[in-house]
Parts: sequence; C-alpha cells; structure tokens
Amino acid sequence: MIEEPYRWVEAIANRREYIEGQLAPGSPIAALGYREGILFVTLGQTRQKLFEIYDRIAMGAIGHPGDIERLRMAAIELASTEGFTRSAADVSLRRLAHYSLSPVMKTAFEQVYGPPYLARMLFAEVGVHPEDDLFLRVEYDGEIASNGATYARARQDFAVLSGTRQSVELMETFLKSEHKPDASFETAVNSALDAWSVGHMLLQASETNELPARDAIAQHRQEQLAIAAIEAAVLERDGSRPIRYRSLADKELRSIITQ
Amino acid sequence: MDRSQLGFDQNVSGAEDDFPSLLRRKGLLGPVALGPMTQTATQQQTWQSTEATTILAFKFTGGVLVAGDRRATAGNTVVYDRADKVLEIDRHSIMAIAGVPATAWEMARVLEHSLEYFRRTQLQEMTVDGKVRALSKLLRDNFGFVMQGIGVVVPIFATYDGNSKPEARLYFYDAMGAQFEATDYAATGSGSPAVRGILYYENTWGAKPLHNLSEQEAVSLALRALDTAAESDTATAGVDRSGKVYPVIKIVSREGITTLPEGKIAVVFKEMVA
Repeated sequence: MIEEPYRWVEAIANRREYIEGQLAPGSPIAALGYREGILFVTLGQTRQKLFEIYDRIAMGAIGHPGDIERLRMAAIELASTEGFTRSAADVSLRRLAHYSLSPVMKTAFEQVYGPPYLARMLFAEVGVHPEDDLFLRVEYDGEIASNGATYARARQDFAVLSGTRQSVELMETFLKSEHKPDASFETAVNSALDAWSVGHMLLQASETNELPARDAIAQHRQEQLAIAAIEAAVLERDGSRPIRYRSLADKELRSIITQ
Repeated sequence: MDRSQLGFDQNVSGAEDDFPSLLRRKGLLGPVALGPMTQTATQQQTWQSTEATTILAFKFTGGVLVAGDRRATAGNTVVYDRADKVLEIDRHSIMAIAGVPATAWEMARVLEHSLEYFRRTQLQEMTVDGKVRALSKLLRDNFGFVMQGIGVVVPIFATYDGNSKPEARLYFYDAMGAQFEATDYAATGSGSPAVRGILYYENTWGAKPLHNLSEQEAVSLALRALDTAAESDTATAGVDRSGKVYPVIKIVSREGITTLPEGKIAVVFKEMVA
C-alpha cells in the first residue's frame, strides 16, 4: 500500500505525529555561548542528557535513550576516527551533522517499514571567539537548524531544544532579549535556567503563545529547582586545557543561582 | 555510518569494540600481526633488540620522574638529536618509548585516542589497570612485526592512580606485551644496563633511597644516569654540552604531568652534574 505516493505521504505524516507526541514531554535544554565557553543547562530527575562528543563538541538530546545512545556512539566514532587519522582540529561539527548524521536520520525516518530515530539533538562546537561558536539542532527527520544568520533573523549566540515547537520559539524569544554573548558564567547560568523555565512552562500549558511574566518565570523556576536536579556542562573556550568538556555538579551551581 | 553498523553488539558496553578494533574496521590501522611468520632458510637470523635509546623512570617524593635522551638513530647514524620519547597519553599518564619510532609513536597515538574514546563513550575514566592492559594489548598485536625484525617497542608507562589508594604507579613492558609493575625504578633501551646499575646502587647504598629524593636530587640523578649511559652507548645522547640539548624530563604527580623547562634542567645540570 505504501507504493502509492499518497499512502507514503500519509504514512510519513502519521509517523511525524507519533514522534512529535513521543518527544513532546522532553525537558528543554538551553545552550548559551558566554565569554569563557559554551554552557549547556537542563533540569531533570533521572537520565543523563548532556554528553561530550569530541574536543570542542558537546551534545544534548531528548528522546528514546536507546536511540540517543546509538546516535551518540555514531557521532563519537566518527569524530574519534577523523581526529585520529587527521587531527583534533580537523573534526568539524558542521560536517559531522550535515554529511553523516542528517542523511542517516532522514533515511531512517522516510523508510516507513523501518524504525525511525526517536531523538532530537542539540550540538555545540566551541570556537576561539564567541562569534565562532556553532550550534546545530538535528531533528529526528534529519533536518538541521543552526544559529547562523538567515534572511529572517540575525545570528544567535545560543540554541535551545525542547519537546514542542512553541516551547522552542518562546525560549528563543526569551534568550534573544536576555542573553549577550559576552555574558559572564554566572549570568549565563541564570539566563539558561530562566530559558529552561520558559520552555518547561510552555510544555505544560501548550495553548499559550505568550512569553510568561517575569515573576511567573521566577516562581516556576524556584518550584522546579526544589524538586529536580540541575544537569549542566561547559565547553571551555581556553584551548590550553587538556579536556574542554566539564560537567558541572548540581551543588556547584546552586550557590550562584540568584533567586 | 549506515544503520547496520549501529548494530546491537557494538553498543552493549563498547568493550566489545575498543578503539583499535574500530580503527581496524574502518581500515585505519594495520592488521594484528600475531604468531610466528614463516621463515625461509635465508631469514634464519634471530631477532635482535634494537631499542637504541635510554629511558629511565623512578619514584621520588614528588611522584614519578620519567626521563629520556633525545637521540634518534638508524644503525650507526644519528638521525635526529631533538626527538621526544617521553609522551603524554592523558592528564596523568606518560608512555616513554624505546624502539622503532614509527611504531612507537603510532602506538602512543592509538593509546592516547583509545583512552579518550573510552572516556567519552563509557562516560567514565579508564582505571589504571585498564590503561596498563590497553598498552599491553597494543604490544601483543604488534609482536608479529617484532618477530620479522621490524617495529620492536619496549615502553615504560608511568601514571597516577587517583582511585582507592592514591599513589604514583610505574610499569615496564617486554616486547611481547608482558607488564611488570616496578616498585622503585625502571629503565629501558640500549643504554639501560648502565642506568639500571646506577639506580640499583643509589636505591640500595646511596645517601637515601630513591623514593625519598627531592625534585632537584631526582633531576640531577636522572641527568647523571643518562650521561653515564651515553658514555658507553652510542645510541644515547645524554646531555649535549655544546649544543645545549637536554634530556626530556617529565614528572607525574597527583596534580598531573609537569614538563620541566629546559632552563630549569640546565641550572641543575650546571650545579650538580657538569
């Protein structure tokens, strides 16, 4: 039945709806470029969502843990073999996402007899200067959104990932006005937590399209921080460090959070 | 990266597919050359050790000191007088190499990338035992080439074990990959017999045992030992007094690896050795 074009389109649409439904409750992730590097922040109770991929590349993902794991492994394998045969500086996130991950995910998504990847990923590559930072969001169907400038909008020094489109859009609107690329670490942590709260509120009340009020954001953040653990990681801009990726303990961050 | 390559078995723990086998799968690393090679009558020469260099390592108050001379030779010819044979593998590990440079440097590179690959995929540091074993496996995989008379490598591995019982650890290997943990000191390379003699003497009858030496005493002992080795071994450079080329000296401690700057070595050399 899938041989007919209409059936195929219908099958793809069903599949999209199913995957969107599965991904919808995923806890948002905010990645912010700041003066000394790139910061990833999310809140959660259980699973690790932030990972190191290579020297300058990190990943945050929501979705099925099995699929995330397969994609993470594939990304590490590709980056590691490239880094081994050439050099660490030759490993590029742009190529990794565009030439390797995206085609595979697209194929898996469109072959309606096989299983798609139930995952949405946010990659970041730290540059020498904040304006060299690259953020890429790779969708389950292989679509890629970057932080680069387009006709419609200027370059962004952040990227977000969330369960629904509205949630992503409002997190971006929020960060556009709140976040500056030369922000300090403390400021970035607080902006990221606020952005997370915006995204999380939208997941719970999907009918609104308005940015919540400041005090509502602050209140939501406080409530969530009381019950969930902060998961955060940084990619240091300083190239002299042997390992640039560093995950931050919940305790480390609690002290610098402003109420 | 087609889907079939992301199969089940490779992802269970990652242990099944370590980094060298990943490289082999992708055709980026030579095959395992195990077992004796078929030898024709004309190839009856026995394997000769050709680790032309001197590497030494010993524990002192500040951790493990690893020192190596800087001469690279091919037969009787000095090829290079600034070779670095004391290589950093990760933040706390050093592999010092005696043997064929091409194989040794490749091995160090594979090991370095293996440990990073493990850390990233398994989300934890490899234990010291795992690292020591990984190097042992690389040596064993290479043994076929050793038997053919090419590519012998005899390394020393120094690391800091931050786990249950924090302390500096020192291992030496044979060309087949057997590992031995050294309690006080280790030496490898063509100049090692002389060095081993000195270290044994110092440790047993010297002013104090090696593990009580201060950093300055340790550096001067290393320089003296390398100079002694160079006295009789043409493949060891020792200290080049006219060219001002000093051995590479690195120290592994709890804080990580420190490379002694040449200036500092020069001062110790001038005061205590020359």
